[in-house]
Amino acid sequence: MKKIGLTTTVPVEVIFAAGYKPVDLNNLFITSKDYMKYIDIAERDGFPKSLCAWIKGIYGACVENDIKEIVGVIEGDCSNTKALLEVLELSGIKVYPFLFPHSHKKEDVKKEIIKFMDMFEVDLEKTEKVRERLNKIRVLAKEIDKLTYVEYKTTGFENHLYQVSLSDFYGDIDKCEIDLKKAVSEIKKRKPINKKIRLGYIGVPPMTGDIYDFVEKFDAHFVYNEVQREFAFPRAYEAKNIFEQYYDYTYPYDIGFRIKELKRQIKERKLDGIIHYTQAFCYRAVEDIVIKKELDIPILNIEGDKLNKLDARTKLRLEAFLDMLMDLKGGITCEY
Amino acid sequence: MRILGIDLGSREVKIAVMEEEKIIKKIKVSTMSFYRDYCSFNGKIIVDLEKLGIYGIDRAVSTGYGRNNTDLNKFKAINEIKAHVYGCFYQTKLKDFILLDVGGQDVKIVKVENGIITDLELNEKCAASCGRYLENMANVLEISLDEMSKYYDNPVVLNATCAVFSESELIGKIAEGVDIKSLCAGVNYSLYKRLHPMLNKFKGRKLVLTGGVANNSAIKEYLKKDYDEIVSVEEPQLNGAIGCCYYGNKIKNLKVEA
Ligand code: SF4
Repeated sequence: MKKIGLTTTVPVEVIFAAGYKPVDLNNLFITSKDYMKYIDIAERDGFPKSLCAWIKGIYGACVENDIKEIVGVIEGDCSNTKALLEVLELSGIKVYPFLFPHSHKKEDVKKEIIKFMDMFEVDLEKTEKVRERLNKIRVLAKEIDKLTYVEYKTTGFENHLYQVSLSDFYGDIDKCEIDLKKAVSEIKKRKPINKKIRLGYIGVPPMTGDIYDFVEKFDAHFVYNEVQREFAFPRAYEAKNIFEQYYDYTYPYDIGFRIKELKRQIKERKLDGIIHYTQAFCYRAVEDIVIKKELDIPILNIEGDKLNKLDARTKLRLEAFLDMLMDLKGGITCEY
Repeated sequence: MRILGIDLGSREVKIAVMEEEKIIKKIKVSTMSFYRDYCSFNGKIIVDLEKLGIYGIDRAVSTGYGRNNTDLNKFKAINEIKAHVYGCFYQTKLKDFILLDVGGQDVKIVKVENGIITDLELNEKCAASCGRYLENMANVLEISLDEMSKYYDNPVVLNATCAVFSESELIGKIAEGVDIKSLCAGVNYSLYKRLHPMLNKFKGRKLVLTGGVANNSAIKEYLKKDYDEIVSVEEPQLNGAIGCCYYGNKIKNLKVEA
């Protein structure tokens, strides 16, 4: 099977239907021991210091892992991706563009997916067949998610990991299914993780994976990973077809749509507080303004850059925030 | 119920006692003298409350530098950022504010929204942006800190970002014959200028100023431009200790007999 790189979540059903093995370059980058090297490669090739590390990491991962074809999202995700694709194209990599239309109209989404299918020369029937197959695995991811916030048995990090892995299904649907099944049955047997504070993680997936372990030290547990969950399409089953599925995806469209889902989840998961992660040099940091205005829950915004570990200052901020959340739970509030 | 709050600063130890939600006693001692004259050591540091004239304490809460305060015997130690925020709750009755605490050796900026810390910035490693800087410069000018802090008009321009180089820059200006008022204003303004980039990320309506530098009226004057309101508290230096009392008063099941 030919490998094809992804810059973010795209209709992966189409890619599988076309007989490709998708590789989410984000996962490839961040799980690598050489992640810093990937950033270096990009900077040596001229990517500016003041650019989000994800973009540079994706570039490095793509170049170093001999990826010859790539799907890039040119609307609805990161505007930096456009430039990234241009550079990659220049070095001989074949680029398939995809876009989540800003308009967020059903017919526009449909049009783009049809274009996408045409590009890969697959028809709707074949795509829907793959979708059916993938939905079985999406249900497993959903179950792991439920085991996180209903039974408190999955750690926040595991939840994050399993949800993000559905952006490419490890490039191997069967293996992915076996893995997730195993995870479900193993997690089910556990005792609940009894942490006092229930946290939500919102924003782009972190460069700093250690945030999950870090908060647990303060008697807190992430029971919601917003974007990661969206990557796994928990509502795919309810969608009548692939068009609906990708229409009902909160990540790439307008923030109002995203906020509605956030509000639902805050209630459903009984969250005590939210950590809003944004990436240095990312426009998404601006959305913090809207999020803080719209959501009536304590929110802490933290920012990651190149390091894959939390820096001392962020740790301190997290600690102070969690400390106060704990006091709040214990009835110590500002009474004025 | 009597609650004791201690804030172990790097230069001074601040002590407050609260009874029936009122602060009934306030003490400030130099850090050196606190450890030398009022403490003994027995695996943990034991505070001699009687010597401090403090009796009948039901609960004791401490905060302060480097967490070594956790060694205080029979005290419940809390994070100092939190202590300061609680101090502000008690002293200002606000729940949305930016707290700027400029102490002798450090700067803390905390954003509080709806009664919870949502952002903070600390600067511990720079002598040029805290109270120490003002003290040194007042010494160079041979004027009292209080007197120096009154002047804000026509500040002479001081560009050095480092406390040490600022001194020679100031001396240069003295040699040029700049009048003392402008020199004083220049010192105050240069501290404000250094705080400014840090404060930039903390836009908000109300700024509560605590720590020793809260007594500097020139800096308050400059800050007025950036915020709708500069809120002063009665005891800016005791804010952390008062916060400890506030916490001790609220928390349930805190059994520490001191
Ligand atoms: S974090 Fe922001 S800037 Fe970085 S790749 Fe994602 S959208 Fe782009």
